Amino acid sequence: MAAAASNGTPREEEGPAGEVAASQPQAPTNGPGVRLSRLPLARVKALVKADPDVTLAGQEAIFVLARAAELFVETIAKDAYCCAQQGKRKTLQRRDLDNAIEAVDEFAFLEGTLD
Amino acid sequence: MAERPEDLNLPNAVITRIIKEALPDGVNISKEARSAISRAASVFVLYATSCANNFAMKGKRKTLNASDVLSAMEEMEFQRFITPLKEALEAYRREQKGKKEASEQKKKDKDRKTDSEEQDRSRDEDNDEDEERLEEEEQNEEEEVDN
Repeated sequence: MAAAASNGTPREEEGPAGEVAASQPQAPTNGPGVRLSRLPLARVKALVKADPDVTLAGQEAIFVLARAAELFVETIAKDAYCCAQQGKRKTLQRRDLDNAIEAVDEFAFLEGTLD
Repeated sequence: MAERPEDLNLPNAVITRIIKEALPDGVNISKEARSAISRAASVFVLYATSCANNFAMKGKRKTLNASDVLSAMEEMEFQRFITPLKEALEAYRREQKGKKEASEQKKKDKDRKTDSEEQDRSRDEDNDEDEERLEEEEQNEEEEVDN
């Protein structure tokens, strides 16, 4: 089923046409199992519309944002896991996330937003 | 308290699945960590939207497009996302094109059967997307007036 992921080797993000075969309520059913986005576009659109400065957003923009958010979740989860590994734990805790946010420059925008 | 934009969460089940697939087998995640990541993802979208919107405004456009979002990724120092995002976008465009062609084919089949009435209805279907955008534009204009 899933490709064997060996610990320690840097994993590139797998393309959207991965081995995931779980059924999804909102996923489009055309196409042989190519899942373009797991996050429902409607929810992403709701976030975009929450910005008072945004007038309109095209469908493609919403899609790219959804996909970027997925990549972000993967990235931050992996970075947080590195912290947990140092603690020899197998469960990711909130503090691992906080550590990752402090350690990684790209996550600086999150500081103060998660409380 | 009023609902803030950051409180608009993405579905927990999906977030959890993405996290689990990113991590090695056997690794768990606490509820607090999971919900913090979910919140972080919302903040990410809001921040990216704001950045993308700046690019749209620079280009004197009112509609955010895909390249605005890609430019935002660069600005936010997530350059490593750009290549996978471009690939995903191409796949998405292909899928959209396929859908459009499929519906156009349906139209052709209908036309063969009946004439004027059918043609009028299918033209309305084509305009659906534009109508949606127009509706949003109207709503947004109202919001701007309130501000």
